[in-house]
Amino acid sequence: MMKKRLFASFAATALVAASMVATTGVAQAAPRTVTVWSPYQGANLDMWNAAIKRIEAANPGLTVKSVGNIDMAKSLAAINAGNGPDISVSNGNGNLGWFCGSGAWQKLNTLVAGKDGIDMKTTFNAAAVASSISNNNRCALPLYSEIFAFYWNKDLLAKAGYTTPPKTTTDLLAYSQKLTTFNSDGSIKTAGFVPWAGYYGFDMDSMWLGQMFGAKWYGGDRNSAFASDVKWAKAFNWQKDFIAKVYGGGNFDKGSKLLTKFVAARGGEWGTDHDFMTGRVAMKWDANWMAPMFCTGDDWTMAEKCTAKLNFGIAGFPVSPDNLSAYGSGVVGQGQMGISKGSKNVKDAWIVMKALATDTKLAAAWDAANGAPSSLLAKEARPANQPTWYLPIYDVANNPKSAYHIVKNTGEHLEEALLQNLMASWQAGDTANIKSALSDLAEKVNQIISRNS
Amino acid sequence: MSQARVIASSPFKKKGELAPPRRKLKTPWLFIFLCMSPWLFGIIFFTAYPMISSFYQSFTKFNLIESPKWVGLENFHRMFFEDSDFWQALKNTVWISVISIPLRIAFAMFTAWVLTKPKRGRNIYRTIFFLPSMVPAVAATMAFTYIFNPAYGPINRMLEAIGIKEPPFWFLDPKWSKWGLILLGLWGIGDTMIIFLAGLLDVPTSLYEAASLEGASGWQSFRYITLPLMTPVIFFSTVTGVIGSFQYFTQAYVASGQVNDYSHSMYFYATHIYFSAFRAYEMGYASALAWVLLVITLLCTLVILKTQKRWVHYPNGSLFK
Repeated sequence: MMKKRLFASFAATALVAASMVATTGVAQAAPRTVTVWSPYQGANLDMWNAAIKRIEAANPGLTVKSVGNIDMAKSLAAINAGNGPDISVSNGNGNLGWFCGSGAWQKLNTLVAGKDGIDMKTTFNAAAVASSISNNNRCALPLYSEIFAFYWNKDLLAKAGYTTPPKTTTDLLAYSQKLTTFNSDGSIKTAGFVPWAGYYGFDMDSMWLGQMFGAKWYGGDRNSAFASDVKWAKAFNWQKDFIAKVYGGGNFDKGSKLLTKFVAARGGEWGTDHDFMTGRVAMKWDANWMAPMFCTGDDWTMAEKCTAKLNFGIAGFPVSPDNLSAYGSGVVGQGQMGISKGSKNVKDAWIVMKALATDTKLAAAWDAANGAPSSLLAKEARPANQPTWYLPIYDVANNPKSAYHIVKNTGEHLEEALLQNLMASWQAGDTANIKSALSDLAEKVNQIISRNS
Repeated sequence: MSQARVIASSPFKKKGELAPPRRKLKTPWLFIFLCMSPWLFGIIFFTAYPMISSFYQSFTKFNLIESPKWVGLENFHRMFFEDSDFWQALKNTVWISVISIPLRIAFAMFTAWVLTKPKRGRNIYRTIFFLPSMVPAVAATMAFTYIFNPAYGPINRMLEAIGIKEPPFWFLDPKWSKWGLILLGLWGIGDTMIIFLAGLLDVPTSLYEAASLEGASGWQSFRYITLPLMTPVIFFSTVTGVIGSFQYFTQAYVASGQVNDYSHSMYFYATHIYFSAFRAYEMGYASALAWVLLVITLLCTLVILKTQKRWVHYPNGSLFK
């Protein structure tokens, strides 16, 4: 009996001790915390934080610290200093090559392909899948999209006898010739279309030009294709021919001078005196976030019915006749997020990032508020809650030929700025030989990439 | 030293009493150090350390994310033999220095001379001429890109009104954009003008009176009295002008952004440093550029200092013997 009592008391003591050890073990486990820095503010940050709350609810024990109003420059500085967040968000994908190439964002190839990974192709649209990769490395997941499409003034085109937007670059030239009018002193009064680098500040005209002609930014050898892809020279020659024929009566220098003056007199970009709103220009390239302004005048919120006098339509870019299969497409970029170098909790960071990228509630709320379609395929084509006039944006976003160009580590997407400089120099008549200039440009871009690799 | 003299020089001692031996005072090093510490802190952490750090970085490849990698003289080789933007930026910078410094000096001296003339309301005129130099560079540049706009700017309207059929496109034309910046600089000449005005007012009027009695013309008075006596001011303005023009940035950066200067006609050396550091994220290369800029500026300043003996006239002898 005594032995039994002794054994029972020993067993009880051992159990208590074991449970204490176990409890202490739980208490000592590292807290699972993931820090997310984003550039969002106000209502957008609220939506973002609501999604983060959902993630925390679905993952007991996981705490996500969300900090808004932090741009990538600040994030990069912190990452460099070793006290960056686990996840950082960039508003666009132009800098992805830099974030990936410099190692600021970690490679996600293994995580994406792993057991808890994502089937990118069935989850996101084609443009998003392609534009979140750099140098064959995926180091980002896409968020919402930014769509660059073709805007046309329906009333002005109707007056010229057109009921549909131009489909090809040939059409665009013909339309413009009909739509362009001149003042008595010979200056341009209204323009059909202005293929001019720097017409409006936020236009990346050279990128749109390349998309129209299906020109590639990089070749199979991973080098710049500005020289090797003849479509670039073709695109620039088309631009020059367009300026000469539409604005110079066949004389390029005359057209260039007239356009310089016309562009100098452009109305403000962010209000009712925008050239597209005043009818000074009939057709133009622009971003999806300009559409609400064109619709309402100076109110940037999405309206069911347009209240501005402007009667406009949205379509894909006109394309060169040998690139007809790309008609309907545009340039589509994405917000991106990545796991920072130095993150001590990659496993949990991946859980959070994957959940944010695939959260359909967040995507829907974001789209409803900003008219910025998510990259998620699940809800994409023509959502019912957006006004009819805006829906062509979704067609452009989901066109399989819509894309951002391949990004490489060129610092702050310097290849775009360099190409834009060349376009400006060419349109001003300062570059005589486009093939040679494109060749020099390609060499310069290759040098930058080589230095950064 | 005699005893009497020691006593005489000690006002607190009675006559005939010997002064006690002087105690050797301790230098209050701690107090001196404490007084100097704000300056010392500033010079060590905000000048010396960044300079040493950037000197080291100029021999490295450093992208802000990865640790700097030693590349020896590669950055300097690239600068001189591979980087066409470096030469473009240097060319533009030299152009603006060579054209703007003499123009600024001449214009400042002329304006100052004009301001010595009015008998009434002198201070009002001086204030009016000085005011533009107080306008922030960004605001002034934005205003200039507006008034020089070829389509609606008042300048071209005026030029057209006086019969110039095709006035320049100013900031929109690579051939004219730098002239727009020169005019902007001349408009804000107030700070230099004030120094010239002080110099002109410092010329003794007796010299002009004597010259007048000798029958000197206005030009001769200027050539043989005013100009020589103004050479120290001209020298000072030249040195500060060279240093300033090699660091020319704000106006060019703002104007370039306003008109989308894709042709790089307003791309200056400081802009190249900025773009290399904060667009290309090549901190090592940007540091190398900055050190070369320092050497260029130093050489130019030394050349001016060396030549000043030949043309700068100090009434009381040279400051730099």
